[in-house]
Amino acid sequence: MNSALEKHLNILDYALSALWRHRLKNGGIVVVFAAVIFLVASFQLVTTALTETAGKVLAVTPEITIQRMSAGRQEAIPLAYAEKLHDIFGIRAVVPRVWGYYFDEVRGANYTVLGVSADMPQADELSRAVVGGVMGSGGQGKVVVGRAVSQALQLQPGQLFSLFRPNLSLKAMTVAGIFRPETDLLTADLIAMPLVEARDLFLIPASKATDLCVYISNPAEIGTIAEKISKLLPDTRVLTRPQIQKTYQVVFGWRSGFASVCLLAALAAFAILAWDKASGLSPEERREIAILKILGWETADVLAMRFWEGGLVAGLAFLLGCTLAYLHVVFFGASLFRPVLVGWSVLHPALSLAPHVTLKEVLLLLAFTVVPYLAVTVVPAWRAASVPAESALSG
Amino acid sequence: MRPASWLLLVVALSLAFDATLLAVGQERRIAQQRELPLLHTVTAALGLSDLCVATEARYTRHPAVSDPVAPFMDHPGAMEHFPTGSFWAPPPFRR
Repeated sequence: MNSALEKHLNILDYALSALWRHRLKNGGIVVVFAAVIFLVASFQLVTTALTETAGKVLAVTPEITIQRMSAGRQEAIPLAYAEKLHDIFGIRAVVPRVWGYYFDEVRGANYTVLGVSADMPQADELSRAVVGGVMGSGGQGKVVVGRAVSQALQLQPGQLFSLFRPNLSLKAMTVAGIFRPETDLLTADLIAMPLVEARDLFLIPASKATDLCVYISNPAEIGTIAEKISKLLPDTRVLTRPQIQKTYQVVFGWRSGFASVCLLAALAAFAILAWDKASGLSPEERREIAILKILGWETADVLAMRFWEGGLVAGLAFLLGCTLAYLHVVFFGASLFRPVLVGWSVLHPALSLAPHVTLKEVLLLLAFTVVPYLAVTVVPAWRAASVPAESALSG
Repeated sequence: MRPASWLLLVVALSLAFDATLLAVGQERRIAQQRELPLLHTVTAALGLSDLCVATEARYTRHPAVSDPVAPFMDHPGAMEHFPTGSFWAPPPFRR
């Protein structure tokens, strides 16, 4: 075998034996270090999965959404605003939408009530996503509910139920169908109904809607048309599809409070480790290095031995932390983060996260954790190894 | 067996385990990819703008169509008090 490789294997053997001699201490470091990496990697995987999903699923969200603002709050928008947009070239359709929240005081749950027009794109294909019938007006309005809503209210297709209007009168509705489980991530808390039924439930006049969805012929013109709408309707907020997609790249970012706590905990734990290592070697470790040098080891060999020790501790912790993080996120639905991710939500879909792990992300995590650890373990060893053996032994 | 051989064995087994996990994860991704057309239909037909992850507060249920100041809108001097507010960063500034 190549003599250099054999030499390194021998040094590795020695490093492993040295680690095993202090197995309690080194095992403790591996566990703490792995826990820190687990925390950071889990957060990274959760946010990657959610951002990716949002990016894919919301790729067909309306090109432009117009909301009317008054005193910094969103208000119902008059349908007359839609007529003002007729002169803007490139707009394919303007479709009003009525939506809002309904708080169920008995269950403490929030439902999202959505009144949609039959003019929405692919509205005739919605039945593919529903078990049972589709929504419709007349008599008791036919609504389609999300699975979480159907479970909370114990509803089945064909069943009748009522919600309170703002004036506390009851509005009766029939469950036409229930959204398929595959769509839970979008529809779990939805009660979807025709526009007219939603207006009736929220007592919104026929001349108004919650917002207007604007569909554009050429997606490259979204920015230009949004700008024109902003100028034409100065009391509105104009949201574009790229803005909506950008939202999901930001909301799960490192600037959120929880992420900062994860990062700060990781940094604090790492700083303690680094401080312990960088503050110098123990007298026993100095003595060991001195004996090795007397036995003929060179400074480079001592450094290689310390490098292997540091690399093994950090590498094993990295492997353990990343494996546990992947298990946690993909197979246990990020159960440790769920209390914060969903908060006091009574209705929330079971998360099925499958993040795409890229080499770039793994290397980034490696660079932030393993490399600094290697640096802080090798530097004090180099200082000790460069001192003459006699003085180390006598000191 | 020398210690380095033991190490190699442990690392190889760990990497094989990780590769299995990744393969199972990849299968899930493919299954999710198959559901994408259905999700697109729902998004387009209902004009949805947000994922249903948390439903406790309107600004975490619909962050894309809420203001960054929505958590503090309940009354003058209001504090943000929902737990999800700590996980979800505010959306980018918009008018």
